Amino acid sequence: MGDVIVITSGKGGVGKTTTTANLGTGFALLGKKVVLVDADIGLRNLDVVMGLENRIVYDLVDVVEGNCRLKQALIRDKRYDSLYLLPAAQTRDKNAVNPAQMKELCKELAEDFDIVIIDCPAGIEQGFKNAIAGADQAIIVTTPEVSAVRDADRIIGLLESEGKHNPKLIINRIRPNMVKKGDMMDINDIIEILAIDLLGIIPEDEYIIISTNRGEPAVASSVSVASQAYKNIVRRLVGENVPLMKIENHDGFFSRLKKVFNF
Amino acid sequence: MKKRIFEGHTSVFLDIFIWSRNYDKKREFLTCRYYTLYGDIWEIDMRQYVTFKGSRQGLQLVLDDSVDFTVILENLKVKLESAVVFFTEGTTVEVPAKVRILTTEQQEDLTKLLAIYGLVFRKTTEQQIVATKANVEIEELQTLFVAKTLRGGQEVRHNGCVVIMGDVNPGAEVIAGGDIIIRGTCRGVVHAGAYGNIEATITANRLLASQIRIASLIARAPDHLDQPEYTEMASIKDGNVIIERVNI
Repeated sequence: MGDVIVITSGKGGVGKTTTTANLGTGFALLGKKVVLVDADIGLRNLDVVMGLENRIVYDLVDVVEGNCRLKQALIRDKRYDSLYLLPAAQTRDKNAVNPAQMKELCKELAEDFDIVIIDCPAGIEQGFKNAIAGADQAIIVTTPEVSAVRDADRIIGLLESEGKHNPKLIINRIRPNMVKKGDMMDINDIIEILAIDLLGIIPEDEYIIISTNRGEPAVASSVSVASQAYKNIVRRLVGENVPLMKIENHDGFFSRLKKVFNF
Repeated sequence: MKKRIFEGHTSVFLDIFIWSRNYDKKREFLTCRYYTLYGDIWEIDMRQYVTFKGSRQGLQLVLDDSVDFTVILENLKVKLESAVVFFTEGTTVEVPAKVRILTTEQQEDLTKLLAIYGLVFRKTTEQQIVATKANVEIEELQTLFVAKTLRGGQEVRHNGCVVIMGDVNPGAEVIAGGDIIIRGTCRGVVHAGAYGNIEATITANRLLASQIRIASLIARAPDHLDQPEYTEMASIKDGNVIIERVNI
Protein backbone atom coordinates (compact mmCIF):
# COMPACT_ATOMS: atom_id res chain seq x y z
CA MET A 1 0.00 0.00 0.00
CA GLY A 2 1.35 3.39 -0.99
CA ASP A 3 1.03 6.72 0.76
CA VAL A 4 -1.77 9.10 -0.17
CA ILE A 5 -0.69 12.72 0.27
CA VAL A 6 -2.95 15.71 -0.29
CA ILE A 7 -1.46 19.10 -1.14
CA THR A 8 -3.75 21.82 0.14
CA SER A 9 -3.70 25.46 1.21
CA GLY A 10 -7.13 27.05 1.50
CA LYS A 11 -6.05 30.14 -0.37
CA GLY A 12 -5.60 30.06 -4.12
CA GLY A 13 -2.47 30.93 -6.00
CA VAL A 14 0.03 29.90 -3.35
CA GLY A 15 1.52 27.11 -5.44
CA LYS A 16 -0.42 23.91 -4.75
CA THR A 17 -0.36 22.73 -8.33
CA THR A 18 3.29 23.66 -8.85
CA THR A 19 4.19 21.87 -5.64
CA THR A 20 2.20 18.80 -6.66
CA ALA A 21 3.91 18.65 -10.05
CA ASN A 22 7.38 19.15 -8.61
CA LEU A 23 7.06 16.76 -5.69
CA GLY A 24 5.61 14.13 -8.01
CA THR A 25 8.44 14.54 -10.48
CA GLY A 26 10.92 14.55 -7.59
CA PHE A 27 9.60 11.20 -6.35
CA ALA A 28 9.77 9.83 -9.90
CA LEU A 29 13.42 10.94 -10.09
CA LEU A 30 14.07 8.80 -7.01
CA GLY A 31 12.51 5.86 -8.87
CA LYS A 32 9.23 5.78 -6.99
CA LYS A 33 6.02 4.88 -8.77
CA VAL A 34 3.90 8.00 -8.45
CA VAL A 35 0.44 9.11 -9.52
CA LEU A 36 -0.76 12.71 -9.40
CA VAL A 37 -4.49 13.20 -8.99
CA ASP A 38 -6.00 16.51 -10.01
CA ALA A 39 -8.99 17.04 -7.71
CA ASP A 40 -9.70 20.51 -9.06
CA ILE A 41 -12.67 19.46 -11.17
CA GLY A 42 -13.82 22.21 -13.50
CA LEU A 43 -10.63 24.23 -13.19
CA ARG A 44 -8.00 21.66 -13.97
CA ASN A 45 -4.47 22.75 -14.65
CA LEU A 46 -2.15 20.13 -13.28
CA ASP A 47 -2.15 18.58 -16.75
CA VAL A 48 -1.03 21.89 -18.27
CA VAL A 49 1.78 22.31 -15.74
CA MET A 50 2.89 18.73 -16.48
CA GLY A 51 2.65 19.35 -20.23
CA LEU A 52 0.20 16.48 -20.70
CA GLU A 53 -2.92 18.35 -21.69
CA ASN A 54 -3.14 16.94 -25.19
CA ARG A 55 -3.08 13.34 -23.99
CA ILE A 56 -6.25 13.45 -21.93
CA VAL A 57 -8.95 11.04 -23.08
CA TYR A 58 -10.70 10.04 -19.89
CA ASP A 59 -10.71 11.85 -16.58
CA LEU A 60 -11.39 11.41 -12.89
CA VAL A 61 -15.16 11.84 -13.24
CA ASP A 62 -15.25 9.19 -16.00
CA VAL A 63 -13.51 6.77 -13.64
CA VAL A 64 -15.84 7.52 -10.76
CA GLU A 65 -18.93 7.24 -12.94
CA GLY A 66 -17.71 3.99 -14.44
CA ASN A 67 -17.34 5.25 -18.03
CA CYS A 68 -13.86 3.80 -18.19
CA ARG A 69 -11.45 1.68 -16.19
CA LEU A 70 -8.97 3.45 -13.89
CA LYS A 71 -6.01 2.31 -15.99
CA GLN A 72 -7.48 3.91 -19.10
CA ALA A 73 -7.68 7.33 -17.51
CA LEU A 74 -4.12 7.34 -16.19
CA ILE A 75 -1.69 9.26 -18.38
CA ARG A 76 1.96 8.30 -18.32
CA ASP A 77 4.36 11.24 -18.12
CA LYS A 78 6.39 11.95 -21.24
CA ARG A 79 9.71 12.15 -19.36
CA TYR A 80 9.48 9.70 -16.47
CA ASP A 81 8.09 6.22 -16.86
CA SER A 82 7.10 5.82 -13.24
CA LEU A 83 5.06 9.04 -13.15
CA TYR A 84 1.33 9.08 -13.95
CA LEU A 85 -1.43 11.67 -13.96
CA LEU A 86 -5.12 11.27 -13.32
CA PRO A 87 -6.60 14.47 -14.79
CA ALA A 88 -9.72 16.26 -13.57
CA ALA A 89 -12.77 16.80 -15.75
CA GLN A 90 -13.01 20.29 -17.18
CA THR A 91 -16.66 20.25 -18.18
CA ARG A 92 -18.03 19.24 -14.80
CA ASP A 93 -17.93 20.72 -11.32
CA LYS A 94 -16.90 19.71 -7.80
CA ASN A 95 -20.28 18.11 -7.06
CA ALA A 96 -19.74 15.47 -9.73
CA VAL A 97 -17.79 13.45 -7.15
CA ASN A 98 -18.38 12.74 -3.47
CA PRO A 99 -15.88 12.05 -0.68
CA ALA A 100 -16.79 8.35 -0.47
CA GLN A 101 -16.01 7.88 -4.17
CA MET A 102 -12.69 9.70 -3.79
CA LYS A 103 -11.81 7.53 -0.82
CA GLU A 104 -12.47 4.42 -2.89
CA LEU A 105 -10.43 5.81 -5.79
CA CYS A 106 -7.45 6.66 -3.59
CA LYS A 107 -7.54 3.20 -2.06
CA GLU A 108 -7.46 1.65 -5.49
CA LEU A 109 -4.56 3.86 -6.62
CA ALA A 110 -2.57 3.22 -3.45
CA GLU A 111 -2.57 -0.49 -4.25
CA ASP A 112 -0.66 0.07 -7.49
CA PHE A 113 1.49 3.08 -6.66
CA ASP A 114 4.11 3.92 -4.04
CA ILE A 115 2.86 7.45 -3.73
CA VAL A 116 -0.45 9.11 -4.59
CA ILE A 117 -0.39 12.92 -4.58
CA ILE A 118 -3.70 14.77 -4.68
CA ASP A 119 -3.80 18.37 -5.87
CA CYS A 120 -6.55 20.02 -3.83
CA PRO A 121 -8.57 22.96 -5.15
CA ALA A 122 -8.64 26.27 -3.29
CA GLY A 123 -11.48 26.82 -0.84
CA ILE A 124 -13.05 24.73 1.89
CA GLU A 125 -16.14 23.44 0.12
CA GLN A 126 -17.01 20.22 -1.66
CA GLY A 127 -13.78 20.18 -3.71
CA PHE A 128 -11.67 20.36 -0.57
CA LYS A 129 -13.72 17.69 1.15
CA ASN A 130 -13.33 15.40 -1.85
CA ALA A 131 -9.59 15.97 -2.07
CA ILE A 132 -8.83 15.20 1.56
CA ALA A 133 -11.24 12.26 1.89
CA GLY A 134 -8.81 9.56 0.84
CA ALA A 135 -5.56 11.09 2.11
CA ASP A 136 -3.48 9.67 4.95
CA GLN A 137 -1.18 12.67 5.02
CA ALA A 138 -1.58 16.35 4.28
CA ILE A 139 0.92 18.93 3.15
CA ILE A 140 -0.12 22.55 3.62
CA VAL A 141 1.36 25.08 1.22
CA THR A 142 1.44 28.70 2.30
CA THR A 143 3.21 31.88 1.31
CA PRO A 144 4.65 34.43 3.73
CA GLU A 145 1.49 36.53 3.58
CA VAL A 146 -0.94 37.10 6.41
CA SER A 147 -3.95 36.07 4.34
CA ALA A 148 -2.36 32.80 3.20
CA VAL A 149 -1.31 31.96 6.75
CA ARG A 150 -4.84 32.63 8.06
CA ASP A 151 -6.29 30.29 5.47
CA ALA A 152 -3.67 27.66 6.22
CA ASP A 153 -4.65 27.83 9.88
CA ARG A 154 -8.31 27.31 9.02
CA ILE A 155 -7.40 24.36 6.82
CA ILE A 156 -5.37 22.75 9.60
CA GLY A 157 -8.41 23.05 11.84
CA LEU A 158 -10.66 21.48 9.23
CA LEU A 159 -8.21 18.64 8.64
CA GLU A 160 -8.13 18.02 12.38
CA SER A 161 -11.90 17.80 12.53
CA GLU A 162 -11.75 15.21 9.72
CA GLY A 163 -9.34 13.19 11.86
CA LYS A 164 -6.23 14.04 9.82
CA HIS A 165 -3.63 15.11 12.31
CA ASN A 166 -0.05 16.35 11.98
CA PRO A 167 -0.05 17.96 8.56
CA LYS A 168 3.30 19.21 7.25
CA LEU A 169 4.04 22.73 6.12
CA ILE A 170 5.73 24.08 3.02
CA ILE A 171 6.39 27.82 2.89
CA ASN A 172 6.51 28.89 -0.72
CA ARG A 173 7.77 31.98 -2.51
CA ILE A 174 10.03 33.34 0.17
CA ARG A 175 12.01 36.39 -0.93
CA PRO A 176 15.32 36.41 0.93
CA ASN A 177 15.87 40.12 0.33
CA MET A 178 12.54 41.11 1.78
CA VAL A 179 12.85 38.81 4.78
CA LYS A 180 16.26 40.29 5.54
CA LYS A 181 14.84 43.79 5.44
CA GLY A 182 11.93 42.75 7.65
CA ASP A 183 9.35 43.48 4.96
CA MET A 184 8.15 39.89 4.70
CA MET A 185 6.75 37.55 7.31
CA ASP A 186 9.51 35.60 8.98
CA ILE A 187 9.47 31.79 8.85
CA ASN A 188 9.49 31.70 12.64
CA ASP A 189 6.40 33.91 12.79
CA ILE A 190 4.53 31.55 10.50
CA ILE A 191 5.58 28.45 12.42
CA GLU A 192 4.59 30.09 15.67
CA ILE A 193 1.04 30.69 14.51
CA LEU A 194 0.48 27.43 12.68
CA ALA A 195 2.44 25.24 15.11
CA ILE A 196 2.99 22.34 12.72
CA ASP A 197 6.13 20.64 11.38
CA LEU A 198 7.99 22.52 8.68
CA LEU A 199 8.71 20.32 5.70
CA GLY A 200 10.59 22.89 3.68
CA ILE A 201 10.88 26.39 2.36
CA ILE A 202 10.93 27.35 -1.29
CA PRO A 203 12.49 30.62 -2.37
CA GLU A 204 10.82 32.76 -5.01
CA ASP A 205 12.29 31.74 -8.34
CA GLU A 206 11.54 33.02 -11.81
CA TYR A 207 12.44 29.66 -13.22
CA ILE A 208 9.20 28.27 -11.77
CA ILE A 209 7.18 30.53 -14.07
CA ILE A 210 9.29 29.57 -17.07
CA SER A 211 9.03 25.85 -16.36
CA THR A 212 5.31 26.03 -15.62
CA ASN A 213 4.66 27.73 -18.92
CA ARG A 214 6.75 25.16 -20.71
CA GLY A 215 4.98 22.29 -19.00
CA GLU A 216 8.15 20.88 -17.49
CA PRO A 217 8.34 20.69 -13.69
CA ALA A 218 11.30 22.74 -12.42
CA VAL A 219 12.57 20.02 -10.13
CA ALA A 220 14.49 18.36 -12.95
CA SER A 221 16.52 21.52 -13.53
CA SER A 222 19.97 21.85 -12.03
CA VAL A 223 20.18 25.64 -12.09
CA SER A 224 17.03 26.59 -10.22
CA VAL A 225 17.07 27.25 -6.45
CA ALA A 226 13.43 26.26 -6.13
CA SER A 227 14.29 22.96 -7.79
CA GLN A 228 16.88 22.24 -5.10
CA ALA A 229 14.32 23.13 -2.43
CA TYR A 230 11.78 20.70 -3.92
CA LYS A 231 14.41 17.96 -4.13
CA ASN A 232 15.17 18.48 -0.45
CA ILE A 233 11.51 18.20 0.44
CA VAL A 234 11.18 14.95 -1.48
CA ARG A 235 14.20 13.56 0.34
CA ARG A 236 12.68 14.55 3.68
CA LEU A 237 9.44 12.85 2.72
CA VAL A 238 11.22 9.56 2.04
CA GLY A 239 12.79 9.78 5.49
CA GLU A 240 16.19 11.36 4.87
CA ASN A 241 17.43 14.03 7.24
CA VAL A 242 18.16 17.09 5.12
CA PRO A 243 18.88 20.42 6.80
CA LEU A 244 16.80 23.44 5.83
CA MET A 245 18.11 25.43 2.92
CA LYS A 246 19.87 28.63 3.89
CA ILE A 247 17.89 31.58 2.67
CA GLU A 248 20.26 33.91 0.92
CA ASN A 249 20.19 36.20 -2.01
CA HIS A 250 21.07 34.28 -5.11
CA ASP A 251 20.83 37.15 -7.52
CA GLY A 252 24.11 38.86 -6.83
CA PHE A 253 27.29 38.10 -8.72
CA PHE A 254 29.34 37.94 -5.54
CA SER A 255 27.12 35.49 -3.80
CA ARG A 256 27.39 33.20 -6.78
CA LEU A 257 31.14 33.64 -6.82
CA LYS A 258 31.24 32.86 -3.12
CA LYS A 259 29.28 29.69 -3.75
CA VAL A 260 31.67 28.62 -6.47
CA PHE A 261 34.69 29.10 -4.26
CA ASN A 262 32.91 27.75 -1.24
CA PHE A 263 33.52 30.48 1.30
CA MET B 1 -26.12 60.24 18.90
CA LYS B 2 -29.24 58.66 20.29
CA LYS B 3 -29.97 56.91 17.07
CA ARG B 4 -26.64 55.18 17.22
CA ILE B 5 -27.40 53.88 20.66
CA PHE B 6 -30.72 52.53 19.54
CA GLU B 7 -29.21 50.73 16.62
CA GLY B 8 -26.96 49.12 19.15
CA HIS B 9 -29.99 47.66 20.87
CA THR B 10 -30.87 45.59 17.89
CA SER B 11 -27.51 43.85 17.75
CA VAL B 12 -26.81 40.79 19.80
CA PHE B 13 -24.44 42.57 22.13
CA LEU B 14 -25.83 45.84 23.19
CA ASP B 15 -23.11 48.24 24.12
CA ILE B 16 -20.53 48.32 21.39
CA PHE B 17 -17.70 50.71 22.04
CA ILE B 18 -14.50 51.24 20.20
CA TRP B 19 -11.60 51.08 22.56
CA SER B 20 -7.94 51.51 22.13
CA ARG B 21 -5.05 50.34 24.17
CA ASN B 22 -3.19 53.25 25.67
CA TYR B 23 0.39 52.39 26.38
CA ASP B 24 1.51 54.40 29.33
CA LYS B 25 5.05 53.55 30.27
CA LYS B 26 4.84 55.10 33.70
CA ARG B 27 1.95 52.89 34.63
CA GLU B 28 3.57 49.78 33.35
CA PHE B 29 4.97 48.84 36.72
CA LEU B 30 1.64 49.10 38.38
CA THR B 31 -0.89 47.92 35.87
CA CYS B 32 1.16 47.05 32.81
CA ARG B 33 -1.09 48.21 30.01
CA TYR B 34 -4.70 49.15 29.89
CA TYR B 35 -7.44 50.08 27.53
CA THR B 36 -8.94 53.54 27.55
CA LEU B 37 -12.29 54.34 26.19
CA TYR B 38 -13.86 56.87 23.89
CA GLY B 39 -17.53 57.71 23.92
CA ASP B 40 -19.95 59.59 26.07
CA ILE B 41 -20.84 58.88 29.65
CA TRP B 42 -24.18 57.37 28.88
CA GLU B 43 -22.51 54.57 27.01
CA ILE B 44 -19.76 53.81 29.46
CA ASP B 45 -21.84 53.90 32.61
CA MET B 46 -21.39 50.41 33.95
CA ARG B 47 -23.91 51.05 36.65
CA GLN B 48 -26.58 50.11 34.21
CA TYR B 49 -28.25 47.22 35.78
CA VAL B 50 -30.65 46.75 32.92
CA THR B 51 -29.80 45.70 29.38
CA PHE B 52 -32.01 44.80 26.47
CA LYS B 53 -30.97 42.08 24.10
CA GLY B 54 -32.66 41.22 20.86
CA SER B 55 -33.69 37.60 20.44
CA ARG B 56 -35.82 35.68 18.00
CA GLN B 57 -38.76 35.59 20.38
CA GLY B 58 -38.60 39.31 21.10
CA LEU B 59 -36.58 41.30 23.56
CA GLN B 60 -34.68 39.84 26.46
CA LEU B 61 -34.27 41.88 29.58
CA VAL B 62 -31.00 41.19 31.31
CA LEU B 63 -31.06 42.30 34.92
CA ASP B 64 -28.06 42.59 37.17
CA ASP B 65 -28.26 40.03 39.92
CA SER B 66 -26.26 41.98 42.47
CA VAL B 67 -28.54 44.97 43.15
CA ASP B 68 -31.89 45.53 44.78
CA PHE B 69 -35.00 45.13 42.65
CA THR B 70 -36.20 48.70 43.29
CA VAL B 71 -32.93 50.05 41.83
CA ILE B 72 -33.52 47.91 38.79
CA LEU B 73 -37.02 49.22 38.35
CA GLU B 74 -35.78 52.81 38.47
CA ASN B 75 -32.99 52.05 36.05
CA LEU B 76 -35.41 50.38 33.69
CA LYS B 77 -37.76 53.35 33.84
CA VAL B 78 -34.97 55.74 32.83
CA LYS B 79 -33.96 53.46 30.04
CA LEU B 80 -37.47 53.05 28.70
CA GLU B 81 -38.06 56.79 28.92
CA SER B 82 -34.97 57.56 26.90
CA ALA B 83 -35.84 55.04 24.24
CA VAL B 84 -39.58 55.47 23.77
CA VAL B 85 -39.31 55.72 19.99
CA PHE B 86 -37.26 52.60 19.74
CA PHE B 87 -39.67 50.07 21.18
CA THR B 88 -42.53 49.00 18.96
CA GLU B 89 -45.79 48.41 20.73
CA GLY B 90 -46.70 44.84 21.55
CA THR B 91 -43.14 43.53 21.62
CA THR B 92 -42.79 40.74 24.12
CA VAL B 93 -40.12 41.04 26.77
CA GLU B 94 -38.81 38.22 28.89
CA VAL B 95 -36.23 37.87 31.60
CA PRO B 96 -33.98 34.87 31.04
CA ALA B 97 -34.13 32.90 34.25
CA LYS B 98 -30.43 32.13 33.91
CA VAL B 99 -29.46 35.67 34.81
CA ARG B 100 -31.90 36.71 37.46
CA ILE B 101 -34.75 34.82 38.96
CA LEU B 102 -37.74 36.99 39.83
CA THR B 103 -40.44 36.49 42.41
CA THR B 104 -44.09 36.62 41.38
CA GLU B 105 -44.53 40.10 42.87
CA GLN B 106 -41.48 41.42 41.05
CA GLN B 107 -42.87 40.00 37.83
CA GLU B 108 -46.13 41.84 38.47
CA ASP B 109 -44.24 45.10 38.93
CA LEU B 110 -42.34 44.57 35.73
CA THR B 111 -45.50 43.81 33.80
CA LYS B 112 -47.07 47.05 35.00
CA LEU B 113 -44.04 49.16 34.17
CA LEU B 114 -43.54 47.68 30.72
CA ALA B 115 -47.25 48.00 29.92
CA ILE B 116 -46.94 51.80 30.19
CA TYR B 117 -44.58 51.70 27.23
CA GLY B 118 -46.69 49.25 25.31
CA LEU B 119 -44.51 46.22 25.95
CA VAL B 120 -45.79 42.82 26.94
CA PHE B 121 -43.97 40.98 29.68
CA ARG B 122 -43.79 37.22 29.35
CA LYS B 123 -43.68 35.58 32.75
CA THR B 124 -41.36 32.73 33.51
CA THR B 125 -43.15 29.70 34.82
CA GLU B 126 -42.29 27.98 38.05
CA GLN B 127 -41.05 24.91 36.19
CA GLN B 128 -38.59 26.90 34.12
CA ILE B 129 -37.18 28.50 37.22
CA VAL B 130 -36.64 25.20 38.98
CA ALA B 131 -35.02 23.69 35.91
CA THR B 132 -32.73 26.67 35.42
CA LYS B 133 -31.78 26.82 39.07
CA ALA B 134 -30.61 23.24 38.94
CA ASN B 135 -28.72 23.87 35.70
CA VAL B 136 -27.01 26.97 36.95
CA GLU B 137 -25.73 25.13 39.96
CA ILE B 138 -24.25 22.31 37.90
CA GLU B 139 -22.85 24.60 35.24
CA GLU B 140 -21.10 26.75 37.77
CA LEU B 141 -19.10 23.79 38.91
CA GLN B 142 -18.01 22.72 35.48
CA THR B 143 -14.94 24.15 33.83
CA LEU B 144 -14.26 23.19 30.25
CA PHE B 145 -10.71 22.17 29.44
CA VAL B 146 -9.66 22.34 25.81
CA ALA B 147 -6.32 20.64 25.29
CA LYS B 148 -5.54 21.90 21.81
CA THR B 149 -4.92 24.98 19.73
CA LEU B 150 -8.04 26.65 18.39
CA ARG B 151 -7.65 27.39 14.70
CA GLY B 152 -9.39 30.03 12.63
CA GLY B 153 -13.09 29.27 12.25
CA GLN B 154 -13.26 27.10 15.34
CA GLU B 155 -15.41 28.10 18.27
CA VAL B 156 -15.72 27.06 21.89
CA ARG B 157 -18.95 27.92 23.72
CA HIS B 158 -19.50 27.03 27.33
CA ASN B 159 -21.64 28.31 30.17
CA GLY B 160 -18.94 27.99 32.79
CA CYS B 161 -15.25 28.80 32.79
CA VAL B 162 -13.04 27.74 29.88
CA VAL B 163 -9.37 26.79 30.03
CA ILE B 164 -7.51 26.48 26.74
CA MET B 165 -4.25 24.56 26.87
CA GLY B 166 -2.93 25.95 23.59
CA ASP B 167 -3.21 29.00 21.38
CA VAL B 168 -6.31 30.78 20.16
CA ASN B 169 -5.48 31.76 16.59
CA PRO B 170 -6.90 34.63 14.56
CA GLY B 171 -10.49 33.91 13.49
CA ALA B 172 -11.17 31.55 16.41
CA GLU B 173 -13.69 32.41 19.12
CA VAL B 174 -14.03 31.50 22.77
CA ILE B 175 -17.34 32.35 24.42
CA ALA B 176 -17.69 31.55 28.09
CA GLY B 177 -20.23 32.31 30.77
CA GLY B 178 -17.40 32.57 33.27
CA ASP B 179 -13.68 33.26 33.08
CA ILE B 180 -11.38 32.36 30.21
CA ILE B 181 -7.84 31.21 30.79
CA ILE B 182 -5.53 30.63 27.84
CA ARG B 183 -2.20 28.95 28.46
CA GLY B 184 -0.79 30.10 25.18
CA THR B 185 -1.07 32.99 22.79
CA CYS B 186 -4.48 34.53 22.28
CA ARG B 187 -4.94 36.17 18.88
CA GLY B 188 -8.64 35.51 18.34
CA VAL B 189 -11.84 36.84 19.83
CA VAL B 190 -12.56 36.08 23.48
CA HIS B 191 -15.81 36.73 25.30
CA ALA B 192 -15.91 36.11 29.03
CA GLY B 193 -19.03 36.52 31.14
CA ALA B 194 -21.08 36.24 27.99
CA TYR B 195 -24.33 35.96 29.96
CA GLY B 196 -23.85 39.21 31.79
CA ASN B 197 -21.21 38.46 34.41
CA ILE B 198 -19.15 41.65 34.61
CA GLU B 199 -16.81 40.07 37.15
CA ALA B 200 -15.48 37.66 34.53
CA THR B 201 -11.82 37.85 33.54
CA ILE B 202 -9.68 36.77 30.61
CA THR B 203 -6.15 35.57 31.25
CA ALA B 204 -3.62 34.62 28.60
CA ASN B 205 0.10 33.92 28.58
CA ARG B 206 0.35 36.28 25.62
CA LEU B 207 -2.69 38.44 25.23
CA LEU B 208 -2.84 39.67 21.64
CA ALA B 209 -6.59 39.27 21.14
CA SER B 210 -8.16 41.16 18.28
CA GLN B 211 -11.19 41.75 20.49
CA ILE B 212 -11.77 41.35 24.17
CA ARG B 213 -15.38 41.07 25.25
CA ILE B 214 -16.47 40.94 28.84
CA ALA B 215 -20.20 40.81 29.60
CA SER B 216 -21.72 43.42 27.26
CA LEU B 217 -18.52 45.42 26.72
CA ILE B 218 -16.44 45.04 23.61
CA ALA B 219 -12.85 46.19 23.47
CA ARG B 220 -10.99 46.25 20.20
CA ALA B 221 -7.23 45.97 20.04
CA PRO B 222 -5.39 49.02 18.75
CA ASP B 223 -4.10 48.74 15.21
CA HIS B 224 -0.52 48.43 16.36
CA LEU B 225 -0.25 46.02 19.21
CA ASP B 226 3.08 45.47 20.89
CA GLN B 227 4.20 42.07 22.10
CA PRO B 228 3.33 41.45 25.75
CA GLU B 229 6.10 40.01 27.87
CA TYR B 230 4.03 38.77 30.76
CA THR B 231 0.92 36.80 31.44
CA GLU B 232 -1.90 39.31 31.46
CA MET B 233 -5.44 39.45 32.70
CA ALA B 234 -8.29 41.51 31.31
CA SER B 235 -11.14 42.58 33.54
CA ILE B 236 -13.65 45.37 33.87
CA LYS B 237 -12.77 48.17 36.25
CA ASP B 238 -14.84 51.36 36.44
CA GLY B 239 -16.38 50.68 33.07
CA ASN B 240 -13.04 50.12 31.35
CA VAL B 241 -11.45 46.94 30.19
CA ILE B 242 -8.13 46.91 31.96
CA ILE B 243 -5.18 44.69 31.18
CA GLU B 244 -3.03 43.79 34.12
CA ARG B 245 0.07 41.73 34.61
CA VAL B 246 -0.59 38.65 36.71
CA ASN B 247 1.52 35.87 38.12
CA ILE B 248 0.22 32.35 37.73
